[in-house]
Amino acid sequence: MNRKLKNINDLKQKRKKLRKSSEDRRIKIMVCTGSGCVAGGAFKLLEIFENEIQKNGLQEKVQVIKTGCNGFCGQGPLVVVHPEGIFYGWLKPEDASIIVKEHLIEGKLLKKFMYTVKETTETIPYASEIPFFKKQTPLVLRNKGKIDPENIEHYIAEDGYSALEKVLLSMSPEEVIDEISKSGLRGRGGAGFPTGLKWKICRTQKKNPKYLIANCDEGDPGAYMDRSIMESDPHSVIEGMIIAAYAIGASRGFVYIRTEYPLALKRINIAISQAREYGLLGENILGSNFSFDIEIREGAGAFVCGEETALINSIEGKIPEPKQRPPYPAEEGLWGCPTVINNVETLANVPVIISKGADWYSKIGTEKSKGTKIFSLVGKINNTGLIEVPMGITLKEIIYDIGGGIPGNKKLKAVQTGGPSGGCIPGDMLNLKIDYENLTQVGSMMGSGGMIVMDEDTCMVDVAKFFIQFTHDESCGKCSICREGSGALLEVLTRITKGEGKEEDIDFLQELGEAIKDASMCGLGKTLPNPVLSTLKYFREEYEAHIKEKKCPARVCKDLIIYYILPEKCVGCTKCLRECPTGAIQGELKYIHIINQDMCSKCGTCFEVCPPKVSAVVKLTGNEINNITHLEKPVAVEAYKEGSK
Amino acid sequence: MEKDKKIGTALIVGGGIAGMQAALDLADSGIKVYMVEEKPGIGGIMSQLDKTFPTNDCAMCTMAPRLVSVGRHKDIEVISYAEIEEVKRNNGNFKVIVKKKPRYIKEDICTGCGACVNNCPTRRVIQIKESKGIKLDGEYSKVKEIIEKYRRIKGPLMPILHEINRVYYYFPEEVLRYVAQELGYPLTDVLRIATFYNAFSIKPRGKYTINVCMGTACYVRKSEMILDKFSELLKIKPEETTEDRLFTLRSVRCLGCCGLAPAVMIGNEIYGKVKLSDIQTIINKYKEKNE
Repeated sequence: MNRKLKNINDLKQKRKKLRKSSEDRRIKIMVCTGSGCVAGGAFKLLEIFENEIQKNGLQEKVQVIKTGCNGFCGQGPLVVVHPEGIFYGWLKPEDASIIVKEHLIEGKLLKKFMYTVKETTETIPYASEIPFFKKQTPLVLRNKGKIDPENIEHYIAEDGYSALEKVLLSMSPEEVIDEISKSGLRGRGGAGFPTGLKWKICRTQKKNPKYLIANCDEGDPGAYMDRSIMESDPHSVIEGMIIAAYAIGASRGFVYIRTEYPLALKRINIAISQAREYGLLGENILGSNFSFDIEIREGAGAFVCGEETALINSIEGKIPEPKQRPPYPAEEGLWGCPTVINNVETLANVPVIISKGADWYSKIGTEKSKGTKIFSLVGKINNTGLIEVPMGITLKEIIYDIGGGIPGNKKLKAVQTGGPSGGCIPGDMLNLKIDYENLTQVGSMMGSGGMIVMDEDTCMVDVAKFFIQFTHDESCGKCSICREGSGALLEVLTRITKGEGKEEDIDFLQELGEAIKDASMCGLGKTLPNPVLSTLKYFREEYEAHIKEKKCPARVCKDLIIYYILPEKCVGCTKCLRECPTGAIQGELKYIHIINQDMCSKCGTCFEVCPPKVSAVVKLTGNEINNITHLEKPVAVEAYKEGSK
Repeated sequence: MEKDKKIGTALIVGGGIAGMQAALDLADSGIKVYMVEEKPGIGGIMSQLDKTFPTNDCAMCTMAPRLVSVGRHKDIEVISYAEIEEVKRNNGNFKVIVKKKPRYIKEDICTGCGACVNNCPTRRVIQIKESKGIKLDGEYSKVKEIIEKYRRIKGPLMPILHEINRVYYYFPEEVLRYVAQELGYPLTDVLRIATFYNAFSIKPRGKYTINVCMGTACYVRKSEMILDKFSELLKIKPEETTEDRLFTLRSVRCLGCCGLAPAVMIGNEIYGKVKLSDIQTIINKYKEKNE
């Protein structure tokens, strides 16, 4: 069947028809099939739903839709039942038949699957009222959980490609660029370069052809918004790309995507071929004179490829090392031609701005940072997931209102933003308004939007070491200060976590960190010392404790702690003794256990298995280690208690 | 006296132990010797041996004095890192053309201190000769089709490597040589790209790559112990492959499933919230699939 839409009217007619047919079937079960939920068995759940509905003859009334990532990954696998918008989380595949039977047929709401507020154990049936969703402003993720990402018709029915309509019908490329400039949209990849300006520079280059690249090489550990957009709404990226290409005058585009994202890769592939089939990509799009097509290029697991010049080298098939800028890619990029590289999230913002207008868009956010930003809220937080919030929201709102606070009522210690290029914001800066400038000012950065929450059990030196290890491995090796400097930082940090730090180490870290910042060529090197410098700034006393007192205040660094069984608390249950992988625990039933420190590998198993009621296993560090009572051999619990009386 | 006058010179091809002894004998009897050696330095295979048959003499002790003597002898001229191109003979007179490869170093100034070798950032890059006329067939016949599929697009190398990787899980040396030859790229470039990315390997990999996520979120949830457990059960270390070429164990940067930490990806499947006790079951699942 030829589905090609010949002109804009065709598209409008199609949309009308699609809307009508979707209204016929009132009840929709939206099954989240983002990577997170798929890992939890979402496809199995989907299958059972479809079977059960078939079995009960409900297929006329009920539609099961597999959607992209819903965002509330901590509750997955999950479904939302429309039109009411009832949210059911933590589902097992077999729960599908219960929902079909009790919810759809008997019309009952199922409390056991609903979201429960931790403190009050109150259940909330409607997705829109769950605090996690309530404070969010979904613009880019407007279609998350609403449409089937593998079906272009769903996207069209939700006003998809209407921004493209508007552009092709009534706007010149210059007007598009002006509109984007006016909206104040800035690059969402991290550096925050004004998107409109980038397009303008590229448009005004005389050299042809021009290229457009969507950067989906999301390498930051702890960030997955690009993947989520690709999995839940790939067409919004394609629409954004077509508009961008129209504005800069490109006829070929590339999507550079990580090979580690198989599902996103599959969906963008499907989306591109559907868009071609409908005449939205290819020659003379929708009967206009404008032609544009997209190719997919896979990355192969190199963090540095997220840097734009390295990415260009990678597409060209060269060694993916960054190049000196200027010339910027917008002037001289892919194969020496003017090239715009935009982050996936930036491109997904474009259709929204065009449809709703720059004035509307620029009302959201702060003075210099407009619109919304997607953050992946992970780490030690109750509601893990992907959130889209307006710029200028405070950390407090994100962590306590949306994130639901820290598990176990522990204290917030720091929030790490911006991945390995970012820094740690201390927990007492809760009122910080999140935008590009503020984050840079406190020594972190926006980055791609990872937000890792850390509680008091996190050692900041260890965190800094983790990130430096990462950047040291991923440094391409072109600049010696980055290659060797990261190695030197790592060596010193490792020494400190082992308790072999020297007093002058802190100054050395500071000095070397600043040197790396100044002397590196690309973004990777320029930002890699941030985790060290920001933790030095806000958590200097932790470094000092490691060096001077040989003490890890958070009790993380293995070489500075010991596991110890408190004799007054141990009940002699043998649980830790059975689980210990190295056989370092001595004792028997009803006898107080003793850890043989020479054999202990400090894996922490005993600490985890000791029942919370007993909690006899503790971690000791620094001076505490010298003040413990040593038992020579296991003593009967009873005898010990009497002895201590 | 006229009769005793030694005339002419000798050229010795190869600076191994035999070549060195011959050169010394000739030079000691008054003949000028040119010694041409293919490698950058003389010494040959014997320098790699420990003991020699049948006397069990220490190889180095045998050759070291000869190395020194050859180097010092006023009548021996060592032309190393060179090849013989042509030998012409005219009534007992030989004319030899020797091609000397460039060393990119001023040989008359260099003291051989070794400092540059230790500090060269790319010293572990394998130096291999380009080769021509490789034909691939049998096991690797698919490579040809893959190259044909992408040859015409701009920047074909990455898509080709990706597809080869999907079929063979790693790049055998001859395949890389073939790719370089077909695309007309320098082999060193192809090799550097093949070793730059984490997803590629020049060592054999298993059918299933077990990627244990070491992203921040997983790390704080003890993904290191998950890796150790896989290592223990499969009896391989990270970056190694099981003997049956079924599994390769790796740690990976971030799978972007931070809500599911700790996460493991095997092939295209992701396992979230992995517990130590789940791991045997997961391994068995893949073993059964292949029986």
